[in-house]
Amino acid sequence: MDHNWGYVAVGYVGTLAVLGTYCAVLISKLRKAPTEKHEQR
Amino acid sequence: MIASWLWRRWFGILTLKALVALAVFGLVVAPPDSEQGDAARLLYVHVPAAWIAYLAFFVTALASALYLWPRTRNDSWDHLAGASAEFGVLCTGLTLFLGSVWGKPIWGTWWQWEARLTTTAVLLFLYLGYLALRRLGGVSSQRRNAIAALIAFIDVPIVHFSVSWWTSLHQQGSVFNDKMDVTINDGRMAFTLWLGAGAFTLLFAWCCLGRMRLLGIESKNSELELEAAIAQRTGVPS
Repeated sequence: MDHNWGYVAVGYVGTLAVLGTYCAVLISKLRKAPTEKHEQR
Repeated sequence: MIASWLWRRWFGILTLKALVALAVFGLVVAPPDSEQGDAARLLYVHVPAAWIAYLAFFVTALASALYLWPRTRNDSWDHLAGASAEFGVLCTGLTLFLGSVWGKPIWGTWWQWEARLTTTAVLLFLYLGYLALRRLGGVSSQRRNAIAALIAFIDVPIVHFSVSWWTSLHQQGSVFNDKMDVTINDGRMAFTLWLGAGAFTLLFAWCCLGRMRLLGIESKNSELELEAAIAQRTGVPS
């Protein structure tokens, strides 16, 4: 087995962690944000 | 409203599927490189992240220019500039991180103070500064931010052409060389790279739309708070 797989794993998991955290925070904030219906009220 | 929610959800699912496909192609379908072995799999994320960072900063510069132009001045351009720069910073950070992880087994070092890496690090700090500037607020802050975004964009072509202008450890273009000849011959490798570019573009668009919406709401809330504070002080309801 290629010993470079360790580096590949670190790269992919790190990317997933960064992008996943950003998207999770964004989704969470969007869900908490008032909807257009609320804004009209 | 339901159509908008469905569209956002459909777009989000499409983006997620593209990212999963990228992981499958990058880790399983694409063959290992004859020289770099499996470390080349990191490039299927590193290169698209760098491309989308360029795109994001271009969008920031364009939206800032449109904000500065009196005929097209609109808060939405300022929100787009901010949302795009945020994703660009994320992608630049990922580019440096993945490049460093790739560099250790291939170059034998995590970091080298050479042209491409140094200018990319400068790019990251320039846009971190831009995002910090956006948080300062104040009078004419949107105009000031737009000018700062246009100045920061000067570094993008410097980063891109750094490998041609100076002696660099970093290789020339990953897909096209200086003569614009395609340098990747294996179809699966080329497809995975383009898939990565597509998946990152979708993610960029999805994140930008969401972030723009939040920035719009934040801006509206701060205006309402300001009006309420003025009304409380003067005793005149706004």
